[in-house]
Formats: sequence, C-alpha cells, structure tokens
Amino acid sequence: MTPVVQLDAVSREFAGTAAVRELDLTVRRGEFTALLGPSGCGKTTTLRMIAGFLEPTAGRILLEGEDATRLPPERRNIGMVFQSYALFPHMTVEKNVAFGLKMRGIPDGELRTRTGEALELVGLSHLAGRKPKQLSGGQQQRIALARAIAVRPSVLLLDEPLSNLDARLRIQMRQELARIQKETGLTAILVTHDQEEALELADSMVILDQGTVAQQGAPREVFRAPANRFVAEFLGYENFVELPDGRTVTIRPEHVEVLTSESTDSTPSDGTTVDAVLTAVRFRGTDCVVTAVSQGRTVLATSSDFELRSGRQVRVHLPAAHTIDLPRTKQELPTS
Amino acid sequence: MIRRRPVLSLLSALAMVFLLGPILLVVAIGFSSGDTVEFPPPGFSLRWFDQALSNASFQQGLLTSLLVAAAATLFALVLGIPVALAVQRRTFRGHKAVETLFLSPAIVPELVLGFALFQQLMVTMRITALGALLIGHTVLLLPYAVRVTGASLALSDPALEEAARGLGAGPLRAFFAITLPVMTPGIVSAAVLSFLTSFNNVPLSLLLKGPGISTLPVEMLNYVQFSYDPTVAAVSTLLLAATVGAALLTERLVGFNKVFSR
Amino acid sequence: MSRKATLGLLLAPGLALLAFGFAYPFAVTLFAPPAAEHPDVLGKLGAMLTDSYVLGVFARTVRVAVTVTLVCLVLGFPTAYLIARAPKSRQGLLLALAVFPLLLSTVVRTFAWLVILGRNGLISDAVLATGLTDRPPELLYTEFALVAGLTQLFMPLMILTSYSSLSQIDPGLEDAARGLGASPGRAFRRIVLPLALPGVLVGATLVFAGAVTAFTTPLLLGGSRNRTLATLLYDYANVKLDWGGASAVALIMTVLVLVVGWASGRISAKVATS
Repeated sequence: MTPVVQLDAVSREFAGTAAVRELDLTVRRGEFTALLGPSGCGKTTTLRMIAGFLEPTAGRILLEGEDATRLPPERRNIGMVFQSYALFPHMTVEKNVAFGLKMRGIPDGELRTRTGEALELVGLSHLAGRKPKQLSGGQQQRIALARAIAVRPSVLLLDEPLSNLDARLRIQMRQELARIQKETGLTAILVTHDQEEALELADSMVILDQGTVAQQGAPREVFRAPANRFVAEFLGYENFVELPDGRTVTIRPEHVEVLTSESTDSTPSDGTTVDAVLTAVRFRGTDCVVTAVSQGRTVLATSSDFELRSGRQVRVHLPAAHTIDLPRTKQELPTS
Repeated sequence: MIRRRPVLSLLSALAMVFLLGPILLVVAIGFSSGDTVEFPPPGFSLRWFDQALSNASFQQGLLTSLLVAAAATLFALVLGIPVALAVQRRTFRGHKAVETLFLSPAIVPELVLGFALFQQLMVTMRITALGALLIGHTVLLLPYAVRVTGASLALSDPALEEAARGLGAGPLRAFFAITLPVMTPGIVSAAVLSFLTSFNNVPLSLLLKGPGISTLPVEMLNYVQFSYDPTVAAVSTLLLAATVGAALLTERLVGFNKVFSR
Repeated sequence: MSRKATLGLLLAPGLALLAFGFAYPFAVTLFAPPAAEHPDVLGKLGAMLTDSYVLGVFARTVRVAVTVTLVCLVLGFPTAYLIARAPKSRQGLLLALAVFPLLLSTVVRTFAWLVILGRNGLISDAVLATGLTDRPPELLYTEFALVAGLTQLFMPLMILTSYSSLSQIDPGLEDAARGLGASPGRAFRRIVLPLALPGVLVGATLVFAGAVTAFTTPLLLGGSRNRTLATLLYDYANVKLDWGGASAVALIMTVLVLVVGWASGRISAKVATS
C-alpha cells in the first residue's frame, strides 16, 4: 500500500543553518505518528514542509504517492490544527468549519451535512452560531479540529495542538483526540514536545534531534529501549552510569536497589553492585528518592526504607534485567 | 481612591483646561449675536452660521477638501495595505529600510514637502494644482495607512492565512476571505485618521493651490488673516461637530483606542 | 508566481509614489532648486549662517520648541499618569477627551488664541478690568503667544505617548515600592518615571519636531515680528520668491528635525539597554 506521507532525504536550511537534515519519514494509512523532540529539533519545520508552508531546500515530499514537493498548501488536501487554533475571528463556528468545504466547491446541501457531522464529532453542535471569541480554549481547540477534519484530509497535521490548554483539559483533550482519530480512521501527524502525549497517542514515534531522526518506532519499544543518551534523557531517564566494564547504561530509579548492612550481607549475583554514600534523601510520602554517589558518579534510586539518612554508607545494586545499554553515538549530546 | 496626589491633579486639571478651554471658547463665539469677536458673547444667534454656510469661498473650499481627502485616503490605502502586508508578513532583505522609507514622509516637515512638490511638480513638470495636491496628500497619508493597517495585521495571528491556505484557499482568496476582513478595524481607523489628516492639512494645501483649487482650512486661514469676525468660529463649530460625529461613529465601529494607538 | 515576484508587486506601487512624489522632489529642491538667480543652495546656506536675522529666527524657533516641549512635559505627563491610573472604565473617555483636539484643524485651534490673546481679547479685557493699568499688555505676535498656541497644539501627542508607556507599567510596582518604605512621591520618581522614560522621550521628540515645523500657528500668532523657520521658509518661497533661500531654510529645518530625532533615538536605545 502507498504510504500517505513519504519524505525522501528532505532538508531545510534557514540562512545557512540546517533545521532539518536529510530526513526520511514514512507514514502509513490510518497511522498516528508523533514527531517528538525539544524545541529547535526541526519537528515544526518538518510539519510545515509537509503542509506546504515551507519548501524543502533538498529532497522530495510524496503525498498519496504523488510528488508534492513544490505544491502550494491549498492543493495538498491536508487538515491542519495550529497551536494558536487560527480560528477566523470574523466568522461563526459553523462558517469556520464550512470554510474548507466551500473552497472545494462542495454544494450547499452536502456542505451543511458535513459541517454538522464534523461539529457533532467534536460534540459542539450547539455552538454553531457563536464567534470564536465567545468560546473557551478547549472549545476553540475542538472547533479547530472539526474544521480540519471536515474536509476529509488525506492527513491530519497537528502542531502542538494541546500546548495552550491547562493540564487537566490537556489530558481530557488527549483522550478526545485519540477517540476522534480512531473513529474517523484518519492518518495523523502530531508535533509535540510532550513525551507523555506522544506515548499515549501515537502508533509510531519519531524522536528528532538537531534535524535528524534520533530514534523511531512504536512508543513501547522506544521507551523500553532508548537508542542513545539523547533519547533516554528526553524520555525522562535520569541515571546514566558508566559501569566498571566501560559500558554506559541507564536505569529507572525505581529499579535501583539500595542495600544497607542491615538489609543483607550477600552481594546479588546478577548486575552490578557498587559502594556509595547517600548525599540527599527526599521524602515523597509512599517512598523516598535518594541520591547515591560512588566514585564521582551519581545514581538516583527510590526506596521504601524510611530509615535512610544523608551521609549513610550503602551499596547500590543495578539489576542486569533493568539496565539499558546506551551505545556511544555521534548523536549523543554533551552532558547538560 | 485615596486623594493623595494634589500636585499631579492640579497639573492635569490645568492641562485639560488648556487643551479644551480654547475649543469651547470658539464654540461659544460661533453662537454669538455680536458684530465682532467678543467674550462673553452679548447674546445667542445663529447669524454667523448663516454667514459661514453662504460664503462662496468656504463652500468651494469644503468641496475641494472633501474631494482631496477622500481621494488621497483611498489612494493611500490602496498603496499602503500591500506595503503593510509585505512589511508584516514577509521576511526579506532590507525589511527595516523599507519600513523606515515608508514612514519617512511623516518625519520631514510638511512645509518642506509642500515646497518641494510645488517646485518640482507644479512649476517644473507643470502638473495641475489638483494633481499635485492629490499626490502630495497621498504621500502625506501613506505612513498612516502603512502603520495603522500594519498594526492591525501585527495583532492578528499569521497562522490565520496559513489555515485558510491549508483548507484549500489560494493566496488571493485567502487574502479577500480572511486577511482583509481581519484587517477591517485597522483599515477603518486608518481611513478616518487619514481623511482628517488630509482634510485639516494647511502647509501642503497652501503651497499647492491653484485657480479655483483651495481647501477649506486654507480659505479659513485667509479669512482669519484679513477679517476678524465670528464667521470662522461658526465654521469651526461645524467642523468640531462633524469631527466628534466621525470619532463617535468610529468608536462604535472599531473602538476609539484602536484609532489612536498608531 | 514566486515569492520574490509577489513581494515586488506588493511594494512597487508604493515605492513608485514615494520616488515620484517624495524622494525625487525632495532631493532636487533641497540641493538643486531650479532657481533663476540663486541656484547655489549651499552658498545661500553659508550666507544665512552668518546672517544675524536668520540666526535670530533659528534661535527663536529652537527656544520656543524647547519651551513648548517642557510645558507639554510638565502638564501632559501627570495627565497621562492620572489617566493610566484611573478606573479602566473611565480611561477611554478621558484619553479621548485629551487626544481628540488632534483631530481638529490647527486653524480652528489657533483661532481661539487670537480671541484669548488679541487686543480686545479675554486677557487684555481682564487686565483692564482690574483698573491697574489702562494699557492692555501686548500678547499677540509674541513668543508667549507662540508657546501658548503650540503647547495647546501638541500636548495631546505627549499625553498619548506617555499614556501608552505608562499603561504598560504594572501598578503593583508602585505598591511594592511603597511596601518597601518609599513615599508616594518617591515611588513615582524612582519607579514610574524611569520606566516611562522611553515613551516620554518619544513624546518629547514628536512635540519638539512638531513645534519646529508648525506653520499655521506661527503665521497667525507670531506674525512678521516673531518669525520661525517655517514662516521664514514660506516668506522666501511665496513672498520674496527666493527659492535658493527657501531651499536653504528648508535644509536647516529638515536637518534640525532629523538630528533631534536621531539623538532621541540614540538616547532611548541607551535607556532601554541600561
């Protein structure tokens, strides 16, 4: 099957600086892809090139198998949801949603039905006559989504669509977005810097770093096995430990075991155990987070031993089953 | 509020009296029944309004002023809106210089501009007074048009046009369906400001007059220099009423603060 | 169509008008006017710079403009401050009252001063009524008249620019200063004034430039006894028909305005970065 979106070695420079470098990307029909990364990684540039707002300086963009590299946005059949929503302030909600259909010359009757359907899908049929200014942020968000969906785009492009909502609403809208994408079966590309959002929504996740792909795959896969330190850090891994054998591994704090002289004398056989001193203990209610330092290296661990105090000599055990090897790659960021 | 700013209050009361007092004085004199300018007026009458409205040179001047102001405003908007679009929505080399260039007619003295246009357009190129007047006023208004319409563009979300393009509208269609309506408050403000600026202008209009072509303020200026009676006060009162009317209408349409935040 | 071509299409008509109706006439008139007798503007300029009459007019123009700027500052800034601190619902009306005179013709506004300052005007009547003297004071056609008329003309600009800069200042800052032990006056001087300075500077520059280049008001209130650069230019151009001289005066006026504008820009850039 032809992929809906395909990028072949796409690059984009701004005044001599590369924002995106020879990026390859394939998005299959019905798939929800997240472009993820810190600001400046090139994710928004990539989305804007797919939409046609930016021309690549090199490479090809195929939409539905056809070369669309130089096609203006209005001829790409995309549906875009902007970070600012970009609802037309002088038009009612209904007119906003109908705009794309009107541009396509859809006859009145069908236009009204499809506008109604789109509004129903986001559950805001009752606000059809309002102006955007009279809506809450969450409602504006839904209207922007309805407007993009109404044209039945070949791909739905979402540019940080939830970043202007407060935390509670963001989680609610996330579920809403997932439901609508499943219901419509639309192919979607989401740009976000929020890894949680990407993990929850996406079928496929592309982590970008300085304009190139740092890692790509299903969210579970990527999260379980980050390919390098940049990806691991971005996904929230905090421990980066160089083992005596020279490997660098990462491990989640809840998997690190803190052993005291009381708890056990025997050294666990698997994995690595080192002597360390606790330099900080933070109480969190159900457990505490301790900072252990061993030969200049710092390891964070959680423990339910509330007797632990700063300054205490301990042994820190990193079970082999939970350590993730991080290959040294060129993409590895300098420690920040 | 606690009254705790006696000095500031006094100064600003003085400022308001200084600003508005003279204008109210002119209105009072316009309704005078006396033969000369005197205050307080000896009685109430509308005779000077009669006098003002039947004055042929004022009538002729008003006609010229309205024509020039309307045409120059239109020209300035037609030329200025595309410039505002380029300056606000495009990045290009020399961006800053272009912006400064289009604002520069507002920086140079109007009298100097008038003198230059009189010499080069009327004397050297033999362009008619009306033509020179229209060119001069359009140049004078261009900075307002670029700036005020530009301000309304700067306040609006650039993603609006992209949204329209993404939904299938071509560049022209996106402009007429989205950008232009979004700019409307700015365009109305710019039009009102431009019209009044042109209508009230003296230096350009004085230097670029010709046979039968003289604006109302220039005629008033001539009148005041040679005769001293309440006719001009009556004209002033009418102009004040018309200006307040225009300002209130603009306020109803787009909001006063937008007109003044240029 | 390429983006470059659209850009050209957007700018070209405006640029054409500016070239034909502004830049070209301006440059020719300032530097090479088509005058029959005295084509040499720079020579004229040199002669003027040693002419005590012209120097006197120049000094008067600057003196009057500086005075007007100061009076506008002293009266206009407090007004802007009180408007900015008035309840939100009333700010619009107050600002409109202070600023709408800008929309009125200068002829209208200057006419009022003829009435106030004239031989049978308000003030001379009042002075005569006190019985202290039987000779009314000479007010019209003096520098005082110029200052009064021009201040009334340009104060709205000062109020407007000060207001827009003051309304950006969080009133909480003053409260914070008071909470730290500053008196209201001190909080005003140490907190509000420095923050509002860039806006005030813009206002002062506008008022100064306006006062230097104003024409109607000096014509009616200064007369031939108290000429300013603007009325002198008009005199050369339309009465003496000495276009070389007019160009020289135009050059002086333009340079004065540009230099003051440039200097104020430099100062506010410094203020903004310090």
